[in-house]
Amino acid sequence: MRFNFRPQSHWRFKRFRYRTEVLRCASCGTVNVTPRPVCRRCRSRNLLREELPERGRLVAFTVVKSPTEEHKELAPYIVGLVEFEDGTRVVTQITDSDPEELRTGMTVERVVRKITHDGDSGIIVYGFKFRPLVS
Amino acid sequence: MARIRNVAILGYGGYVPRLRIKATEIARIWGREEDALPVREKSVNELDEDAITMAVEAAKYAMRRAGIDPAEIGAVNVGSESHPYAVKPSGTVVAEALGIPPNFLAADLEFACKAGTESLQMISGLVSAGIIRAGLAIGADTAQGRPGDALEFTAAAGAAALVVGRPGNGEVASIEYARSYVTDTPDFWRRAHERYPSHTFRFTGEPAYFHHTLSAVKGLLEEAGLKVSDVDYFVFHQPNYKFPFAAAKVLQIPKEKVEQGVVTHLIGNTYAASSLMGLVRVLDAARPGQLIVLTSFGSGAGSDSFLIETKEGLPEKRAKAPLLDALIGRAKYVDYATYLRHRDKIRGA
Repeated sequence: MRFNFRPQSHWRFKRFRYRTEVLRCASCGTVNVTPRPVCRRCRSRNLLREELPERGRLVAFTVVKSPTEEHKELAPYIVGLVEFEDGTRVVTQITDSDPEELRTGMTVERVVRKITHDGDSGIIVYGFKFRPLVS
Repeated sequence: MARIRNVAILGYGGYVPRLRIKATEIARIWGREEDALPVREKSVNELDEDAITMAVEAAKYAMRRAGIDPAEIGAVNVGSESHPYAVKPSGTVVAEALGIPPNFLAADLEFACKAGTESLQMISGLVSAGIIRAGLAIGADTAQGRPGDALEFTAAAGAAALVVGRPGNGEVASIEYARSYVTDTPDFWRRAHERYPSHTFRFTGEPAYFHHTLSAVKGLLEEAGLKVSDVDYFVFHQPNYKFPFAAAKVLQIPKEKVEQGVVTHLIGNTYAASSLMGLVRVLDAARPGQLIVLTSFGSGAGSDSFLIETKEGLPEKRAKAPLLDALIGRAKYVDYATYLRHRDKIRGA
């Protein structure tokens, strides 16, 4: 069977995709997103598992109107840059909101949503997105 | 099933998507009279939401309130009639997203609108027997309704979750009694590979919803030796706004004991989450030491009924996550065309 989206690839990244679990290098502080034995920057093997915070600050955002094929069903959608307290930043989709409801500096929280799906018979890819804080 | 021993609700959570469609908008499209609509409006999932993502949201709130280490969760049961996969358990994704380590039992359940309370029954049994220390009971649905069918006015989206475990550490409530009542009654069904369910219109009322709901409640009260006046809140499955109050009337339950647990006029019928959602709203308002009777109904057909007593830990735990009314209150309205797109009713695009 031929898949447009490889289940093995999604499985390998699931800890990062579902709950932003990363490998932080204890030697140089670099955040490694992909599972790997050595730091992508300094090659140290001293990598520590860490879950990035659930809440961050929206630094910037834009609206994607011409998406790639795998994201076309969600278009138009918002992509934002979210910064955590320690300065770590992630690029992510911003969900549950319209562009006019967003402002830079606002607090956003992590949620799990559908990222894409491989037709009617392939896998559904879930992953984190951020949305304005519900309190 | 009868007396439940040493089983407590440690945390609870409800989730409602922010989108809504007004019943009058659906009536406008299908030329229906606007004076007898079953609900005011109903919730609609975002394009990136399904039963799994909503289960994660509700369970996250429940675990935050419980203040529990994910490693203590020994079972994850997800009740739904809209599991995104026909084969691949929703519980696997939900547990991974919540950081629950692999030593747990995952089960997806289906019993129309009572699959959520089935989850609660099974987790309670595992905890009571000492097989697990704690577990997650979840009801979640993005319910289906054929375009133009009566169900389209109510079939909604939402999730509710309970962390159930041993009492003794500031629990929210205790589960005291449980009772189920099940018969073979073909009031509503969906055959394999069908997109939308079929139902038998008025037959879904008296022989289905009312017979099973009333039988379960009466049996529970009899078993517990309680009268209606001893109970502070009654929560029913709510396929529409009228049914829970009609069931209460038969049992001579005052309206005031039912109102807090009814949300269907605002968000529609969230199916497997429906009665649990009512319980969540009651827990958002109840005081410690109050008695709640929670009764589900699932077509096919059956009801689960529980006697729940709130405990001292409720107010502190309640404050740790958003109230259900905060989620209901962030409503954004969509038109019928947008609703069709979000419910995947436009195919071939």
